[in-house]
Amino acid sequence: MDGMNRRRFLKVLGVTGAGAATLSACGIGPEPTEKLIPYLIQPEDQIPGTATYYASTCRECAAGCGIHVRVREGRAVKIEGNPESPINRGRLCARGQAALQGLYNPDRVTGPMVRNAAGGFAPIAWDAAITQLRTKLGAAQARGIVFLTGADASTFGDLVDDWMRQVGGRRVSYEAFGFEALRAGNRLAFGTAAVPDYDFANAKYVLSFGADFLDTWLSPVAFQNGFARAHGFDGGRDASMAKFVFVGPRLSLTGMNADEWVAALPGTEGLLALAMAQVIVSRRLAALPADAGRLAGLLAAHTPSAVAATTGLEEQLIVRLAREFAASQGGLAVAGGMAAQYANGAEIVAAVNILNYVVGAVGKLVKFGPDLAAGDIGTFGDLAQLTAEMAAGHVSVLLVHGANPAHSLPGAFPQALGKVGYKVSFSSYMDETAAAADLILPDVHPLEQWNDSRPRAGVYALQQPAMQPVFPETRHTGDVVLSLLGRPGSFRDHLQNRWRELHKRFGAGKSFEQFWMEAVQHGGLYGDVPARVVRLAESATRISPAAMPPEGGGDQTVVVFPHPVLHDGRGANKPWLQELPDPVAKIAWHGWVEVHPETAARWGVATGDFLLLKSPFGAVKAPVWITPSVRPDVLAVPTGQGHSAFGRYAKDRSFNAFELLRAEANGYGGRSFAVRATATKTGEHRKIVTTEGSPRERGEGSVEVLTLARAKALHAGDHPFHHEETPEYAKEAVEWWGERQVEKAELGNYRGEQPRWGLAVDLSKCTGCSACVTACYAENNLATVGEALMQRGREMAWLRLERYWQTDEAGTPQGAVNSPMMCQQCGNAPCEPVCPVYAAYHTPDGLNGQVYNRCVGTRYCSNNCPYKVRYFNWYNYAEPGGQWEAWPEPLHMLLNPDVTVREKGVMEKCTFCVQRIRGAQNKARLEDRNVRDGEIVTACAQACPSEAIVFGDLHDRNSQVYKLAGNPRGYHVLAGLNTKPAVTYLARVVNNG
Amino acid sequence: MADAPTRVTYDYVTRTIARTLGNPTRGYFLLLGAAVSLLAVGIVTLLFLLRYGLGLAGYSHPVYWAVFITCFVFWVGIAHSGTLISAILFLFRSGWRTAVYRTAEAMTVFAVMTAGLFPLIHIGRQWYFYWLVPYPNERGLWPNFKSPLIWDEFAIGTYFTVSTVFLIMGLIPDIAAVRDLATGWRKKLYTLCSVGWRGTNEEWRHYTRGYLYLAALATPLVLSVHSVVSWDFAMAIVPGWHATIFAPYFVAGAIYSGCAMVITLLVPIRKLFQLEELISVKHFENLSKLCLLTGSIVGYAYVCEYFIAWFSGNPTERAAFWYRAFGPYWWATWTMLICNAFLPLLLWVKKIRTNLTALFVISIFVNIGMWFERYVIIVVSLAGEPYTPWANAVYNPTWADWGIMAGSFGWFFMWFLLFVKNFPTVSIAEVKEVLPPPRRAGARTHA
Amino acid sequence: MIPLPKPLHDLFRPPPTPGVLGVFAHLDATVDAIKTLRAGGHTEFTVYSPIPRHELEDALGQPVSPVRMFTLVGGIAGCAFGAWLTLYMSYDWPLVVGGKPVGSIPPYVVIMFEMTILFGALSTILGIVFNAIFAARRLGTIQWDPRFTNDKFGVFVPAAPGAAAAAEALLKGSGAEEVRRG
Repeated sequence: MDGMNRRRFLKVLGVTGAGAATLSACGIGPEPTEKLIPYLIQPEDQIPGTATYYASTCRECAAGCGIHVRVREGRAVKIEGNPESPINRGRLCARGQAALQGLYNPDRVTGPMVRNAAGGFAPIAWDAAITQLRTKLGAAQARGIVFLTGADASTFGDLVDDWMRQVGGRRVSYEAFGFEALRAGNRLAFGTAAVPDYDFANAKYVLSFGADFLDTWLSPVAFQNGFARAHGFDGGRDASMAKFVFVGPRLSLTGMNADEWVAALPGTEGLLALAMAQVIVSRRLAALPADAGRLAGLLAAHTPSAVAATTGLEEQLIVRLAREFAASQGGLAVAGGMAAQYANGAEIVAAVNILNYVVGAVGKLVKFGPDLAAGDIGTFGDLAQLTAEMAAGHVSVLLVHGANPAHSLPGAFPQALGKVGYKVSFSSYMDETAAAADLILPDVHPLEQWNDSRPRAGVYALQQPAMQPVFPETRHTGDVVLSLLGRPGSFRDHLQNRWRELHKRFGAGKSFEQFWMEAVQHGGLYGDVPARVVRLAESATRISPAAMPPEGGGDQTVVVFPHPVLHDGRGANKPWLQELPDPVAKIAWHGWVEVHPETAARWGVATGDFLLLKSPFGAVKAPVWITPSVRPDVLAVPTGQGHSAFGRYAKDRSFNAFELLRAEANGYGGRSFAVRATATKTGEHRKIVTTEGSPRERGEGSVEVLTLARAKALHAGDHPFHHEETPEYAKEAVEWWGERQVEKAELGNYRGEQPRWGLAVDLSKCTGCSACVTACYAENNLATVGEALMQRGREMAWLRLERYWQTDEAGTPQGAVNSPMMCQQCGNAPCEPVCPVYAAYHTPDGLNGQVYNRCVGTRYCSNNCPYKVRYFNWYNYAEPGGQWEAWPEPLHMLLNPDVTVREKGVMEKCTFCVQRIRGAQNKARLEDRNVRDGEIVTACAQACPSEAIVFGDLHDRNSQVYKLAGNPRGYHVLAGLNTKPAVTYLARVVNNG
Repeated sequence: MADAPTRVTYDYVTRTIARTLGNPTRGYFLLLGAAVSLLAVGIVTLLFLLRYGLGLAGYSHPVYWAVFITCFVFWVGIAHSGTLISAILFLFRSGWRTAVYRTAEAMTVFAVMTAGLFPLIHIGRQWYFYWLVPYPNERGLWPNFKSPLIWDEFAIGTYFTVSTVFLIMGLIPDIAAVRDLATGWRKKLYTLCSVGWRGTNEEWRHYTRGYLYLAALATPLVLSVHSVVSWDFAMAIVPGWHATIFAPYFVAGAIYSGCAMVITLLVPIRKLFQLEELISVKHFENLSKLCLLTGSIVGYAYVCEYFIAWFSGNPTERAAFWYRAFGPYWWATWTMLICNAFLPLLLWVKKIRTNLTALFVISIFVNIGMWFERYVIIVVSLAGEPYTPWANAVYNPTWADWGIMAGSFGWFFMWFLLFVKNFPTVSIAEVKEVLPPPRRAGARTHA
Repeated sequence: MIPLPKPLHDLFRPPPTPGVLGVFAHLDATVDAIKTLRAGGHTEFTVYSPIPRHELEDALGQPVSPVRMFTLVGGIAGCAFGAWLTLYMSYDWPLVVGGKPVGSIPPYVVIMFEMTILFGALSTILGIVFNAIFAARRLGTIQWDPRFTNDKFGVFVPAAPGAAAAAEALLKGSGAEEVRRG
């Protein structure tokens, strides 16, 4: 990876904010230009055909991952993780990469707009808009002025606070999933509301009480990276892989990576945690902290036998878990997500904290000190209160930035909005809240703006504009606020002034300019904060996480969970994320309700039948997805869809799960995401888009699984999955014949030493998060085809994530194996000889070339491909204004100039990112050297948060991929067909010990 | 046909057949109109496909070949009985062919013309179809002769050429015969087409020899063509395609469907043109016997496929065939089995063999069955492809598929109708050959 | 009639040959006529018939048609062409597919076979055409009757105006129902 780093560093070096400025100066705007080289005066840091990388920070969620934005000819074309960032270590999730589609979204608000008499919106000049706002604020006379922002622990956030102080208003920050329970729980247990950092990488036993730390919980990329090191067999550590047990009513993306699924009754997770603590303490299974004794009373009341009934778990199971957890000498328990969705969520978190505390994980793996930004977010309680004030007419001016409560708090909030005198939205999109505003002052996209953020104590992440604004009439809200404050200079100056303080603290011996330049180049300032010691708070001994039934009548417990990629709905306007099959359900473009097969049989519903879910607070119609990965007595629905505005891709699609939820906050200021509801059949049916095949492995060698014991027993040179079909007596003859074949093929370009590009995919690391899929879409200009075509299986995803449940004797899934299936670049490729025009042929370096310009579209290659990884262009997806257009203006600006946009009627498939291979080879040739191992990284490998994919030359005996290909866990899919694939999969290892 | 009534003389034969070329009736024009309008439907559909792309058809991953290729194989199959009857039976010197082979041959030529269109329609970039032809080009690239599709191209091309010249050769003496009876524009047409045939001993000498060799060449050709078509599938590794039995299986099936189609066409022709004297029930009986034979071979092939799938113990093979019989496409499979394997068994009964109405109905069913056979082999094998459980689909044809298919029927029948009205549908010369030649009274007869 | 350029005109419309044409209603009568003609030392006469009959062939006793040579040569040429096509085009720009040899014979056999058939058939047609045309050229323009393609047989005996009478008598004798001179 270090060759990688150096290359990246060189690219980033010399790139400064000035770069973007010069770009804007020389007028290569967003408008597609006809000239081949659009420069009149070429900016020194722009070479046509050569990418420039700008370091910045991802703002798609509060995790604040560092990113590199790849810019070609003045346009951002791809987002990759910044290897220097201590948060994501160069990796990035699907949502982060899809930020591009937010930047170029065809439904962006292109300029300031004001509500006119007709009730519609009319464009307005910036000056006029700001004057209007100023007068309104004046009229409010410092009463009832509220600025509602998203999670914004940043200079911008502070600026807003200053401003509110000046105009006598207040700022409320809100996230639909704000981790209130976590903070309340920490206060209960340790007397601090801070959100600590969790060190998954060094955990020996991970126990998650509903916390989806791989998809939506706090800092998914960082956690996934750490988790892969701990849970991946020989993931950087010795072969002692951690065991991962998931406690929760349904298997989420995180849950399906577990080695064991403990489906405790919803809401009783806390009891389980306490019972485990009780076992550990009473039997002294761990070196207990001094003050553990104070818990005696609390724990005595929660013996396994006492809670067994309420949790619905056997006593032995609880005891076993406790023993394993303590014995691992590195147990880490995390609580959140579904387990923290009940009225007693805080107690549950506190209970889990206690469990961590007694095994001494607090301070070692649970680090207070380097606290995460999530701690600074306001609570749902604040929003509920604000809503109440609005409804009571106490709010005269409401300014909204980076939040869309009208969608996540349907009903109550829009009604309350009506009572607000003057509503201003700074949203870049016409979302539900913006649609109700009186004035819209569109902010520039995070990729177009200066800002910073503090994702973790000690980490100061910088944002710099990667390109000139796509829509010149949008304006940085920071600039707007500054002008309203009457301060001189742009937000950039303000930011620099703020950073002068940091310069004083960290910039010893550097001029500020130097300090600033370096910060911009590296994407921020990365420091470490020592963990501070926390002690058990008094309140911890009094908690009572007794099971509370969720609010609402009805006979069904319905759990509302955050969609892994659409999240609270902010992703719904990005076709990449809409078309990305949900990692668990594999459903795209639509919501669903998870129903257990038994329940489905009892009700007589099939997948696709609509259920009417009715809670006291609202009702939704959701299509059924039958799956064994949910408790029989629980229904689960994802958020994310059901927008009534928010652009063509999101509007009027599926249902809004927030409708089901109570609008008031619960005891600890959080929101209850579990309700009791009734479910009734509607008789409606819909062919839901799913890429799911047969959910369980068919025993045809698609995926291989080993138990930890077996995996440990393997020695170098073992081939447990190697099935020899040739009998001994025939072997020699067959080999001889094979050699003759090869000789006869050594002609022309095929003579001499050639590399053989190959991939190694470690299934024990792959979590199925699908970041690689989005990376492939971004890198290779894959078309999004929309729901109607996807229903016919016409999606173009070159990389397909196959999810196979691993079930126990009872048929209950105990986790899943995820296998990324891309073109295997076979040595003896069945697709090649059948092509009549050599469009599919073998390149000298071992790729299955697919020459688009040569292809006439007989589709024979796909028929003959046993992996079925070839995809056909049924329509012209690039036709401007066409019915199936995938990149409506200005979305087409994100197309990668290095990759052809395929024509109607040609076959396409994974190319191992051949453009990257050739790029690196040319570079090496110019520098008169060989390509270094690790210098070429495919888009999927680059993005993978768990570093499960490795690319390289199989002929280079020192390459990483060569070593992995020889790993005893390695196997080829459908090896029996003798296709000789270049992709080696490393069997998943299940720690069932 | 020595037992033919004495009034069937050379002259009678000539005039009866020449009469079929008389001016057409309204019914004929109605049929022709129907055919042409079907063709129009096909053309419009094709225009849509060209403008918007193949997505309009029902394809869904991984079913990348469907109705178009089904129709292709169907029509190629139809094309097989013609040459079989004219060439192989000619070599076997079986007299009964003389009355029916012209129809069969014409059908062959037009069926190949129809089949040949489908590969061009079904490819993604139809406007580049000529890239499959080996011609010197600026890309310096030749076609890939390892691809079964190129074999196809050569096999079908050869078959079309040879069967066409074979048809024309047979026609020449007959055209000369009608030329000498015809008047007006027909006279001009036939004068041109008969290339100055006079029936001299020299002409006959070379003609008969040449005809023999053409037959000798056409015989292996007809067997090869459908073998090659079958290899389009057998060469692929798709379970349900990858089988050594395919070549004989397909050839038998082809001849089977061909004979069925001949019956379907001959029954009405015989009625409309009042050729009862020349095309007797015996001819139909022989045709239906041919159907019975080939049908049984096909039925045997079905059994074989399933047996091998089970016997091989190969899980993917077994999965594929289980999916075929009991998967979502069970209806297609069972239609095929009933129409092709069971229904024709009725032909064991002489009463049915000799009942033209029954024969007509059965032949229609066989045609349907054979279409479904190809549908099952192509679509179902792909849809249930058991290698990758994550790439299965249930495919449903759309209006575009049906439109093109309708167009193909229109195209075929248009040509056939034009042919029967303008050229002798029954061979004049060869029917005469099996008649007792005119002899002086009292002369001993030996035919 | 369509006018033709000179060389073709000579080929297709050769100069008239004087002679006698006998029209026969019966096959056996025609056979007798042929036999007597050959007995009488005639060799250059022509027989018309609506269909080929073995009786006539036997009576005429002509050598086997040379068409078969055309077929043979054509077939061999076709096979060779197929081999050249496939092998040359494979090695002209070697592209490896499916790990198979660049020039692999088994698949190419199919092409060779089809080419054999195609060339064989086409050259057979040429054989027929050429032989028939040149035969006609030899005979020159001779008398003919449209009924010959229907149900009548005919024998044309080329004869100088002087010798015509003898030929007439001969044809009548063997049962010609009509004799024409021209």
